[in-house]
Amino acid sequence: MSIRFESLSKSFGPKTVLKNVSFEVSTGEILFILGKSGMGKSVTLKHIVGVMKPDEGRVFVDGDDVTQLDDNGLADVRRKCGMVFQHPALLDSLNVYQNVSFGLRTPQYTRSLPRPLTEEEIRTKVTETLRLVNLGTDIFDRYPPEISYGMQKRVSLARTLAPGPTYLLFDEPTTGLDPITTNAVNDLIFELSRKLKVTSVVVSHDMQCALKIADRVLVLDQAGILALQTVPEIKRSREPLIRDFLAETLALLPPEERAELEAHS
Amino acid sequence: MSSVKSSPSLQGASGLAGALLGPITHTLHEVGGLVLFLKLILKTALTTRGNTPAILEQVLSICSRSLATVVFAGTFVGAIIVLQFNAVLLVYDAQIFLGGLNTSAIVREIGPLMITFILAGKIGAFTAAELGTMRVTEQIDAVECLGTNPVQYLVLPRFIGIVISSLILLALGIMISMLGSTFVATFLCGMNPLQYMSTITRFVGVWTLFCGAAKSLVYGLIVGGVACQKGYTARGGARGVGTAVTQAALYMSLFVILANYITSNSLNWIHDFLGAALGWVDG
Repeated sequence: MSIRFESLSKSFGPKTVLKNVSFEVSTGEILFILGKSGMGKSVTLKHIVGVMKPDEGRVFVDGDDVTQLDDNGLADVRRKCGMVFQHPALLDSLNVYQNVSFGLRTPQYTRSLPRPLTEEEIRTKVTETLRLVNLGTDIFDRYPPEISYGMQKRVSLARTLAPGPTYLLFDEPTTGLDPITTNAVNDLIFELSRKLKVTSVVVSHDMQCALKIADRVLVLDQAGILALQTVPEIKRSREPLIRDFLAETLALLPPEERAELEAHS
Repeated sequence: MSSVKSSPSLQGASGLAGALLGPITHTLHEVGGLVLFLKLILKTALTTRGNTPAILEQVLSICSRSLATVVFAGTFVGAIIVLQFNAVLLVYDAQIFLGGLNTSAIVREIGPLMITFILAGKIGAFTAAELGTMRVTEQIDAVECLGTNPVQYLVLPRFIGIVISSLILLALGIMISMLGSTFVATFLCGMNPLQYMSTITRFVGVWTLFCGAAKSLVYGLIVGGVACQKGYTARGGARGVGTAVTQAALYMSLFVILANYITSNSLNWIHDFLGAALGWVDG
């Protein structure tokens, strides 16, 4: 039960974004994918759910080669993988309740159950899921533009969690958020991953967050993998790019961690 | 290493060829893209079920949003055509044919074009912008990741809604135009309303109605297809949505004008063929 990339390559026109990238995400871990903008972090994530097709290479989710699956097979993989996008990506024409319950009404989800959920069961599930992301039922009838950006992000996370995915994929989940909400969302990712025992892949450029909650960190650079290491290994890394990322976070770290990082630099 | 330089006249010729061929190849590329997108919609329509409520909702929404514009445009277009025809027909002392000529022109040509351009400007641009925003804010990707076919859920109802609405609005537009033109013919051109309407059936038969409906259907397919395709394939933030809407407006107009020529010619050919082969003659 894992996600595995085998020699994945992807180009957009003349620009090669990923070249011969191979790695595996272990069950239950939180893997952070870090890198500068345009280094293929989101592209890597989108290959897992088959939204993008690679030029070469394969991606396996629980042993199924995503690159070779038909529409039904892809739908099954997508049911297992909940994806949280950079934008909240909520449907503006639906209210919060309808957005969160969206995935509970799809044929792929209902097919996995002995019978489709009743409206009451859906309501209970939506309420529970919103509670997981610290939101109440008072926003059920509100439309996305009527709630704050931070709340939209939480609703988006609730929508992803509602069908009970095995894997959680986060595409820059804290982009555009203030520092307090950023911390809250990071804590939420950590708590949910541990509480729901799901495997999480987080695409980010937030090294501080990675040091705080990741089990391993994958750093992408120049279309390939620069490092795939645990957090302590990353802290000791001599790679200039990783040191640059670490230097950015120094001021934000507690004194003892800052001292540890400065000792390695 | 020796370099071969082309003469200025050769460079000029190649530049001219490029300038001429560029727009043609670009237009062909756009036509190809539209055909492939229509194929995708058709495949989705044939392989999925349960789209009727969403389609009806779209038809209702499109018709209600376009109603006031169609009534306004229909009334005045009918009135304008009557005034223009009347001026010419008076010269030849043929005012009696005013009702027939005017209604025929509206049903065959002006009605479908008027409704199409209203739909393109009001609904087509809106659809391209709506789907484009959904694309660049990852709403379409989110729908896909939640296990729903975005073409079925988002594109198909909008596309079929536009096509069906174009026919409903055509019927409405023609009726409103006829009312407007009868009013002007009576009060400004001095005709008896019954006299005005007496020649309509001589000029407007089943074939004329079929021509109007066929053209409206083709234009509806173009407006719906281009609007949905440009919105669905938008890329690159707010600028990308702006580009998608601009391109949708441009190609809807160009393709409708091209389709008008092709359908007019084809329908005339079919009419002549039916006349020659079956002796069938209709207005």
